[in-house]
Amino acid sequence: MATSPLTVVDQLFAGLHLPDGFDAVAGVIRESLAQVTNSAIWTRYGQQSLEWLIGMNPVDRLFMLSALTLLLMLLLGRLRSAGVLAVLLYGAQFAALLSTDTLFGAPAAAEVRITVADQSLHWSYDALSWFFAMITIGAAFVTAWYAAGSWMRRYREAGRSAPAFHVALALNCFGMLLLVGSADLLSLFLGWELVSWASFLLMALVGGLGAQAALKYLAYAISAAMLILGGIALIYSVGGSFEYGAVVAAIRGMTDVQVWTLLLLLGGGFAVKLGLLPFHLWQAAAYAEAPGAGSVFLGAISARMGLFGIIVFIVGMIGVGRLMTLEIPYTFMSSRELIAWMAAFTIIVPTYTALQQHDARYLLAWHGIGQGGYMLLGLMVGDAVGSAGGLLHCFNYAITQAALLMAVFAVVHRTGTADLNQLGGLVARMPLTFLVLLFGIISLAGLPPMAGFVSKWMVYRSLITEGMPLLFVAAVVGTLGTILSVYKLIHNIFLGQLRVEHQEVAEAPLSMLIPMLGLSALIFLAGFIPGPALSWVAQVQGQLGLPVVPWVLGGIVDPRGGLDMIWLVGILMAGFGVGALVFYGFGGRSRRVHQLDNYAGGHFLTADVHYQYSDNFYAGLMHLIGPWYRGSFRWLERSLAATLDLVSFGADGLYRLAQPTLLMLAAAVAMLAWVL
Amino acid sequence: MDWLSAVNLDGLAAVDFHWLGLVLELVLMPLIAFVVGLGLVLMLRKIAARLQRRVGPPLLQPLWDIIKLHAKETQTSHGLIHEIGIVMAIGGYVAAVTLLPVPGMNGLAEQGGLIALLYMTMIPSLGLALGVGQCANPNGSIGISRALTAMLAYDVPMVIVIFGVAFHFGSLNLVHLIAAQQAGGIAGWGIVQMPLLALAGLFALQGMLGKQPFEIYVAPAEIATGPMVEMGGKFLGGLFVMQCFQLYTGGALYVTLFLGGGEHWLTFLFKVFVVTAIPMTIAMVFPRYRTEDMVRLFWKWPTMIGLLGIAFVMN
Amino acid sequence: MTHIDQVPTPGAPLPVEIGVKAGAARTNPFARVFDELVRFAQSRSLFMLHYCTGCGAVELPPAMTSRFDMERLGIQPMVSPRQADILLITGYVSVKTLKRVILTYEQMNSPKYVIGICSCTVNGGMYWQSYATAKKLNDYMPVDIYIAGCMPRPEAVIEGLRGLIENIRTGRADAWKDYYRRYDHYLGNQQRLFGADWQTPTDVIAEARHYDLFGPATLGAHTALLEQHQRPLEALEMRIEIPELMRRRSRADQGGTAQ
Repeated sequence: MATSPLTVVDQLFAGLHLPDGFDAVAGVIRESLAQVTNSAIWTRYGQQSLEWLIGMNPVDRLFMLSALTLLLMLLLGRLRSAGVLAVLLYGAQFAALLSTDTLFGAPAAAEVRITVADQSLHWSYDALSWFFAMITIGAAFVTAWYAAGSWMRRYREAGRSAPAFHVALALNCFGMLLLVGSADLLSLFLGWELVSWASFLLMALVGGLGAQAALKYLAYAISAAMLILGGIALIYSVGGSFEYGAVVAAIRGMTDVQVWTLLLLLGGGFAVKLGLLPFHLWQAAAYAEAPGAGSVFLGAISARMGLFGIIVFIVGMIGVGRLMTLEIPYTFMSSRELIAWMAAFTIIVPTYTALQQHDARYLLAWHGIGQGGYMLLGLMVGDAVGSAGGLLHCFNYAITQAALLMAVFAVVHRTGTADLNQLGGLVARMPLTFLVLLFGIISLAGLPPMAGFVSKWMVYRSLITEGMPLLFVAAVVGTLGTILSVYKLIHNIFLGQLRVEHQEVAEAPLSMLIPMLGLSALIFLAGFIPGPALSWVAQVQGQLGLPVVPWVLGGIVDPRGGLDMIWLVGILMAGFGVGALVFYGFGGRSRRVHQLDNYAGGHFLTADVHYQYSDNFYAGLMHLIGPWYRGSFRWLERSLAATLDLVSFGADGLYRLAQPTLLMLAAAVAMLAWVL
Repeated sequence: MDWLSAVNLDGLAAVDFHWLGLVLELVLMPLIAFVVGLGLVLMLRKIAARLQRRVGPPLLQPLWDIIKLHAKETQTSHGLIHEIGIVMAIGGYVAAVTLLPVPGMNGLAEQGGLIALLYMTMIPSLGLALGVGQCANPNGSIGISRALTAMLAYDVPMVIVIFGVAFHFGSLNLVHLIAAQQAGGIAGWGIVQMPLLALAGLFALQGMLGKQPFEIYVAPAEIATGPMVEMGGKFLGGLFVMQCFQLYTGGALYVTLFLGGGEHWLTFLFKVFVVTAIPMTIAMVFPRYRTEDMVRLFWKWPTMIGLLGIAFVMN
Repeated sequence: MTHIDQVPTPGAPLPVEIGVKAGAARTNPFARVFDELVRFAQSRSLFMLHYCTGCGAVELPPAMTSRFDMERLGIQPMVSPRQADILLITGYVSVKTLKRVILTYEQMNSPKYVIGICSCTVNGGMYWQSYATAKKLNDYMPVDIYIAGCMPRPEAVIEGLRGLIENIRTGRADAWKDYYRRYDHYLGNQQRLFGADWQTPTDVIAEARHYDLFGPATLGAHTALLEQHQRPLEALEMRIEIPELMRRRSRADQGGTAQ
């Protein structure tokens, strides 16, 4: 097709129906564009490449743009404008994703293939891939924007490598795009490994505590990869092929024992990445100690790659129905209940661990672990509203966590500390950051009118409909714990007394403010009008074979209890209007006073007195539940590490003491026997 | 509003009246809630007085309190968030009561539901918490931390009760709940069909109203009334208004879930006043629990009773 | 020194000098319209701050509890000065306590009423010879009602409160304005007692300006002395300052060289 930019621009302007004043501007743009397109260079190179780009397979185009981002960051990462370039490239990737049209259209296969030893790795995008890819590219986009300005300047001044950061981010994005587009088991494993190693790179960039946490993550991730490989080997041995079509048929024909093994292998491997109890101990430190913008990206989407794997295999291929038939012997629980309870414990335990943190980044990282439980819980309930709630929570949580982490790291950027006991009163100096954090915490706690409420409401609704009281209570207890801990976050940073050393703190720089405020607006919009996001989720459900949620623009329609967010948010705003009328209209004039003009029992306050309640914020609750957190999981982790130590010591002795050649011979014989 | 449909004016489309009726409902429901709330506050103070063999305040005392507080000539504000917090505290409840159907007016009960109502009532608490935070007084912050911990305590039996009721009637829609209960006469009421859940709900109501022995978050002599320490004038007046709504919401929700709603206004108001009088009467003979004792209590007895009630409901 | 004959009787309005003509603008918009209703509500709903400076405090619990029951008059105790309308100075006021009393008084929201219970607030009472007590309370803050006695029984306390209620209802109890309008006079007495470096976190002069309660006697020699050492405590207003933007703008101002 001979599309020229000129015709595209003409169509665009015609469609926009610009008012008269803009005609001159449109004319100028058209003239300059005409000059460019009429030049020789364009007709020779530009037109052809444009046609090639447009005519390319859409999935290939997406991969190519992502690889191009990676390459350009590798080459040009040290430039000052690398950040802006990265933002533009991620925007281009997003546009490429939209052009694949796989959400509302048919799944699209990529043309690129890798053939190794008679097996070919190929990729294709469907609605589920689109959903996760959209979140990934969106997260990369806002992260790159956040990191483009002052943050990168400070990063460079601290002696760290900017190209390494950009490359790590681009590699993460590329790996995730490959992973979510995998169409057979080998490409899945390739993508999985790429994602794992790319995360490690992003975590370990700045060394120190981050590198230590990253090494711990690596141990977990390698074990997870081995488990997944084991699962893939099992499927191959039963089905004889790596293609997803054959895999589905193979799983349908598997016996219960085999499905259990598959569940343990694949589920365990993906659960490590997701951070499901009891595999979660690596995540908080690793995500919290990553460099600021990196932590934003990791917190938003990285762990959900494990959820993607679980959705593809356990929800999509094995199916919740099959899970319900897998009984655990001697109990009345099935595997579905087991997974649901693991998810419920994942909601509760990390949330209350977050409550005790006094480092803001750790608090949010622990919440990240907890919210993954909601997504899995919704998917395990399996009905239309529940699975939609779980899927929607991926999206809602991603925008929420990105906004929260951005706000916290903006505070770190300006004040130099994330310690909640060293901050306070910053609302007077960073009001916009406060607004972002406020929207974020209302969404994280799942309160109306923000996005988090919609997805959590759907999970609760499905739990009630399916009649699972204890899981319902567990989910709500998690929400209550979240409310407690996010209030502590916002109170200790932004409310209370402003410290003397923070009196001259400035607002976050513009490069941080714009993505933060954009995300806050998105959080509100996604809560006010959840319809569009629900339509995406409905497409994913349809593609997975799950029952589709009955969505409308304002929420869910159901005579036995639906949700209409447009009405709810409308009446809430009207209520606030009435409140403002009563308060400002009927009340007299008030005068703002200094924070030291405060009730202190008749005591005269001075600025050197720390008149702020920050430390041990929930003292009463901690008296009760503090002793329950004796670090039992750390004991488990330490015992596993000790066992591994012992085994490796023994193996080490075996390699060194016995004849190495004899060992090689034995291994070769064993391999031959297995193959033949 | 059925009476509107009976009106037949030539040339006017029926849909206009539908919208007008809804707007009228959305204005009237908060007003009614406020007035009933004033009566509940008066009842609270009168019960306390009578139990202490006193006379108690005169009839319109809550109204005089609110007018006096708003008519203060000078008021101290600690900042914009302090003011917005009070606006949210009032506004959140104004919005929440439109989700609670009353005789003759459903408001937005069909668009929200039981869960949405529960979460809507958490917004005023959040607003208050933000406002108190900016007051920069540690007494207030301690009060809020205790109030949130108390919410964690009483919300566990509360959600067990909500689950049980929703599961029993098969719906989260409050209009359905009321209709189902009224269809069966007194035998159809929630309290007759699910007595254990009703008991647990009453327990949770005591916590929700923040009355003794669960008013640790106020603790006047210990933390100088906690969240209210730096609130004066219209700020305290806003909190008094919020208290009216809070008492009404608690009582009306319990009546809706367990006492069959209200067939008409007299029975509805009677039930609301009776239900709210029970925790108030119990409150006046108790001292105060510590925070962790309150959490331990709520996580033990009402939770067990509620879970037992659910076991009965789900069989 | 006040003579015993000069002590006013309960119920009669105090002869308080108001520097400006009566009827100055009130800040509440509805106050003008509903003046009568508002004054009635203010008289029927009084929150007392249970300060308890001295021995007279023991007479308050009987007045609050079942036998005499102040709540039927609409009076209930409140904890913090922000919430309270009435400041009860019950008993002798030592110099140390008077500092806290003045701080508490300034933290209260207007309209506020001071009631001097017991003779010690009137003329020093039993401690008239002491070096450590303040003898006449309304040298340091405007007092609405004195209730003399040592100590006055609950009946007398309630009688005094009912007098105050009557004064509020008829609009005569606006001694609180006197503090703003003659701040210099009160500050002078306070400085004489506490020293020249006496200050409170509350900025009374700014408040007077904010609420149009400024009078000709608000400023004077004593406030000038205060100004010399008082750090003005301005409220922390929210501000949005992004130095990167400002730097770019200032560099553009300096001649337009691109950074």
